[in-house]
Amino acid sequence: MNRRLGETLAILALALAIPSLFVLLASKNPVATWATLLSYTLGTWHGFSEVLVNATPLTLLGLGVVVAFRAGIFNIGGDGQLICGAVLAVALAGFAAPLGPLGLPVFLLLGFAGGAAIGALVGWLRARFGANEIIVTIMLNYVALQILTWVIRGPLQEPMRIFPRSYRIADNLFLPTLVDGARLHAGLFVALAATIAVYLLVRHTAFGFRLDVLGRNAPAAPFAGISAGRVAVLAMLVSGGLAGLAGAVEIAGLHQKLEDNFAAGYGLAAIAVALMARLNPAFVPLAALLFGVFEVGAGVLQRQLAIPFPLVWIIQGTVILAWLAFDWSARRARAVAA
Amino acid sequence: MTMDLVLWTGLLAAGVRLAMSIGIAALGEAISQRAGVLNVGIEGIMLMGAFLGVFGAVTTGSPWGGVVFALAGGAAMGAMHGFFTITLRADQIVCGIGLVILGLGLSSFLFRLTLGRGQVRVPTFRALDLGWLTDIPLIGPVLFGQNILVYVAVALALALAWIMRRTALGLEWRACGENPSAAEAAGVPVIARRYQAVILGGALAGLGGAYLAMAQINAFVENMVVGRGFIAIACVVFGRWHPLGVLGAALGFGLAEAAQIRLQTWYPDVPYQFFVMLPYLLAIMALVFLARSAALPRALGKPFTRGSA
Repeated sequence: MNRRLGETLAILALALAIPSLFVLLASKNPVATWATLLSYTLGTWHGFSEVLVNATPLTLLGLGVVVAFRAGIFNIGGDGQLICGAVLAVALAGFAAPLGPLGLPVFLLLGFAGGAAIGALVGWLRARFGANEIIVTIMLNYVALQILTWVIRGPLQEPMRIFPRSYRIADNLFLPTLVDGARLHAGLFVALAATIAVYLLVRHTAFGFRLDVLGRNAPAAPFAGISAGRVAVLAMLVSGGLAGLAGAVEIAGLHQKLEDNFAAGYGLAAIAVALMARLNPAFVPLAALLFGVFEVGAGVLQRQLAIPFPLVWIIQGTVILAWLAFDWSARRARAVAA
Repeated sequence: MTMDLVLWTGLLAAGVRLAMSIGIAALGEAISQRAGVLNVGIEGIMLMGAFLGVFGAVTTGSPWGGVVFALAGGAAMGAMHGFFTITLRADQIVCGIGLVILGLGLSSFLFRLTLGRGQVRVPTFRALDLGWLTDIPLIGPVLFGQNILVYVAVALALALAWIMRRTALGLEWRACGENPSAAEAAGVPVIARRYQAVILGGALAGLGGAYLAMAQINAFVENMVVGRGFIAIACVVFGRWHPLGVLGAALGFGLAEAAQIRLQTWYPDVPYQFFVMLPYLLAIMALVFLARSAALPRALGKPFTRGSA
């Protein structure tokens, strides 16, 4: 068995073992709890379709984290960029709607543009002023949230002006549902297409190479003729764009309108997804599937066993710390071999 | 004229009160960074501190019990950050992000298992009344009408400023953040000093969270820190890693918060969301204009390997 697969399985084991302590604290049997989680999420069609619904934005956001992270940039503002993408797409949906079948791609591109604008801004502030992107992206999450709560009570509010939500986008901008009676929608294919695109970008283009140089040895970048600032801006542009695309996909596939809490807070989970995928775009959908299982599973544990939903964040945090521990053991093994 | 005085008194007094949860956490972060360990996870530690503060206060019947719980929990999370970043030499930023999520999860989960099930009265810290001192116009309510933790925070900032500047411990902490190899060669126990700093930083982040829950909002609400942990990190940059500067920066944010709440009622025609954004935008501006600082500890974020010099 290859070493990386072994490590991944060990991380998974820890991701279940440590949260098990908290399941015990909630006076529930961990074995029965995980059995309930797995049998619903992987054993029922409805559960699995919900896993895929969650894995779709997690894949897009996770890809965004991967692109930035490879260049040594921490984009933890996926939530804010997702909101900005969705807000821009809905605000300009009136221009996309008359375009017939082209309307949907334009709508999705608008989402990408909204997130990309914020991402590029963050990249520029970092490159030009040295402003720490972690704090800037987190601060922008809160700014974006305020913009959302304003637009759905102000300029983009539904025509009756009663409810805090936007007007509905036109029917031709919907991502079609894949199965009758389930929420699963064609956004899944958008996420898979983005995976292939990001894989090619990272592995087979000069830009992908520049990302890696910047991430692994930033001081060497100028000697390789690489402008660190330019790469940082472009990396954040793509990273934010993918998050914005996720926002447009969530609207076109699930909500059809902006509303409070439409963004489910995938930004931090996306970091865990990217780490679990070892920053390889090809593995991001698999990792997203795993975290989709946790997300949907935590919901069912809350409903059926009254185990508090925040267990899912304990699992995510454990995965990140376990990943770090194994990253250390891998580095140590390399150091010993060398 | 008297109306103006009432307004200014209210604004300044509230500004001081709202500054301290960020300020206390930022003081801890400053020490930790000075010793070379960046902890971006204080948002999560503050959440744990907020929960443990309320839980401890309810359990012991005294807000001071809550303070003890929060300090201990924060120190434990700081030690965890130390274990990963100092002993395992793991990436400090990734570990910090892990702590943010873990703190969010633990505090919300444990709250729902314990206090979240019913209505409880939380013992809190109230504003002191120092008699005639508190009655002085303007100065009284601002300086002498605060809760006791405000004075603890100011004393802490003064003490830390003195320690960093005038004691061997402070010098050694700074050396660990500037040039750990040279410090080790000079006989400084780098690993131990860094552990101390990161544990102290965690404990103070916990206290900052407890302040928020027991002297500001007077309840625990899930995810109640809403970015203050990250604003605290911005304060460290803004205050140039100096304890008094850091507390001053936090005061700026406290005033911004107090002002934005008042602006909402003064300008009802402007959507209130634009005022709520202000402190967050201020943090971005502060970073943009002051990020490239000569005061940045040179070895910040870099793991230390013994005998690497």
